Amino acid sequence: MIQLSKVNKRYKTNSALENLSLEVKAGQIYALLGANGAGKTTTINLLLGFLEPTGGDVKLDGLSPYFNRRKISERVAYIPENVSLYPFLSGLENLEYFCDLAGIDQSKASLVEILSKCGLPSEFHGQKVSEYSKGMRQKVGIAIAYAKKAKVLLLDEPASGLDPAASNELTGILKQLAGEGATILMASHDLFRVRETADRIGILKHGSLVEELNAFEVSANNLEDMYLQYMKN
Amino acid sequence: MIRIILNEWKGWLRTGQFRWLIIFLVLILAAVSYFGVQDVAKRQARIDGSKQEVRDQWENMGASNPHGAAHFGSYAFKPLTALSALDEGVNLTAGRVLRLEGHVQNEIVHSSQSQSVFISYFGPLKASILLQIVIPILIIFLTFYGIKGEHEQGRVRLLMVQGISYFRLIFGKVISVWVFAVLVLLITLIIQLLTFNESISGDLLLRTGLIVLAYGSFYLIIGSITGLFSLKWSGRSSALTTMLAIWVVWLIFLPKITSWFVQEQYPLPSRQEFTDAMREDRSKGIDGHNPSDEREKALKDSVLKVYGVTSVDSLPINYDGLVMQADEEYGNKVWDKHFGALFGVMQKQKTSMQYAGFLNPFGSLQSLSMGISGTDQWSHLHFQQEAEAYRRVFIKALNDEHAFGGSRTGDWGWKAEQEFFNQIEDFHYKTPLYSKVSSFYWPDWISLGLWLILSLFMLAFFSRNANPISQ
Repeated sequence: MIQLSKVNKRYKTNSALENLSLEVKAGQIYALLGANGAGKTTTINLLLGFLEPTGGDVKLDGLSPYFNRRKISERVAYIPENVSLYPFLSGLENLEYFCDLAGIDQSKASLVEILSKCGLPSEFHGQKVSEYSKGMRQKVGIAIAYAKKAKVLLLDEPASGLDPAASNELTGILKQLAGEGATILMASHDLFRVRETADRIGILKHGSLVEELNAFEVSANNLEDMYLQYMKN
Repeated sequence: MIRIILNEWKGWLRTGQFRWLIIFLVLILAAVSYFGVQDVAKRQARIDGSKQEVRDQWENMGASNPHGAAHFGSYAFKPLTALSALDEGVNLTAGRVLRLEGHVQNEIVHSSQSQSVFISYFGPLKASILLQIVIPILIIFLTFYGIKGEHEQGRVRLLMVQGISYFRLIFGKVISVWVFAVLVLLITLIIQLLTFNESISGDLLLRTGLIVLAYGSFYLIIGSITGLFSLKWSGRSSALTTMLAIWVVWLIFLPKITSWFVQEQYPLPSRQEFTDAMREDRSKGIDGHNPSDEREKALKDSVLKVYGVTSVDSLPINYDGLVMQADEEYGNKVWDKHFGALFGVMQKQKTSMQYAGFLNPFGSLQSLSMGISGTDQWSHLHFQQEAEAYRRVFIKALNDEHAFGGSRTGDWGWKAEQEFFNQIEDFHYKTPLYSKVSSFYWPDWISLGLWLILSLFMLAFFSRNANPISQ
């Protein structure tokens, strides 16, 4: 579903990605680990079609995102680190608005159901987003992705700033979505959360994939040691 | 697109400061429009009262000498148009009352501005000031902050992943502000029409529609250019600063520079030079030919020949009336020559100012606003020409009565009956229909149209080719 093959991305003189190759299959959760500036967000922007690769091949559901941005937008959902919703709208109104823009025709009742399913308590559905916590906004973001029935979910630091309970809930929701067949790529530097959520983990350093492993093959402590070792070198 | 517009509106209405700003603005405009119409009605009533008073004096002066009556004269009052409540135009400075008398063509006097204690740079608070200055500033701020908000809060990426194009997003923001501005304009005009005492004619409706078209086009130009800068600079403050700088240049600097340049190119004579030249031509003859003494001699000879007498005392008519009318007609020729030249220069000045609209669309809007409201320089000159045409008929009637009414030459004490004076009709000025004067305003419409096409094209081109994330 997601395929990057020998992808390079250069910004003038700086190289953001070098020969990055990875593959994420349907129903899989892939986590990209890396320090700030490692190329995680660049990878997501390439997959969203906002950037054109300098070299190599980027494919999402068989399409090149940069040249098929409109078609890609029908298949992909994106959840940023900070889900910026309209503060003057309620969670439900935000969901309704984003669904409208995406051309998704959902009844109010089904939107309410989606919000609840994504973990937003019903008493908050009608409350203005300006009164929401970050975790609650994140849940609305997931609900937007869910309502879209996106085949691919791209998440950029989704658990950053969330409390442990909200973070845990997020893991549950992502696993549920993957269980329903979604392809998920998340960029993070939260080793513990990545270990808990992902099926496969890739470690990015200076734009190159330096390690790729199955999450169940490594403990949280080992992953931390491995990661720190790569960062040190 | 409609969803984006409605969402934008919802945001304004649910955000305290915007909500109050919008309510305040609409209330101010409603009040200014209402009181503007009331003010026009009061001033029109005063004009009607003055006209009646002048007429009453005329009809009650009793038996009088016609030449004395010519000196007593009359007045031409320029009526206020319904839309002058919206845009007072040159009326404020050029005046609306013209004294009509024998021997001389007077200038229009009694401008509101000249009598005002509170002379200010912008003149009295008219809806046009709010619609031409305040609304565009509001458009600039609302458009800029609408786009900046999406960028600053990182929503652009989220919105584009939903499948909407950057063009649709930016254009939606521009249109939502534009629709708001046009609604404010419509509210203002509807209040004006509803509170206007007189019946609403087809011409008034046409003019009102054209006002909406002119202002609506200008608002879209302002919004599109602000949108263009906002997307070029991804909502950074430099976009706002640049747009405000352009606005100041359009509003203050370009009109000043243009009018200075136009006056340098096509200078008007001073009032003193103008009246001196008129006096010179009248006494010494136009361009030094046919001076007054020669003209009088030729007239005398021809009249004596017609009546077959040898002296004016033998004439069965009052020769003085013929002399006065001949002098009047020669004065008219002199006035036509000088005023024609002046009119030509004014025409060149006005046309040049209109062409300057290709550099400054605000100039085109101002010209159209005044023109459609019937308060611009063309309207002013048209009134002056119509009043002069009436003055000639009026004075000729009095001179003819003096010559042929029954008196003899030198009989300055002779009086015509009141009935004669009552037969002379008053001056009634009707503002020409817009369709009759529309050709004057083509340069303004073309300039505004070109600006609109160019700004929309630029906005569409740059927003379609921009990558908001890479900026």
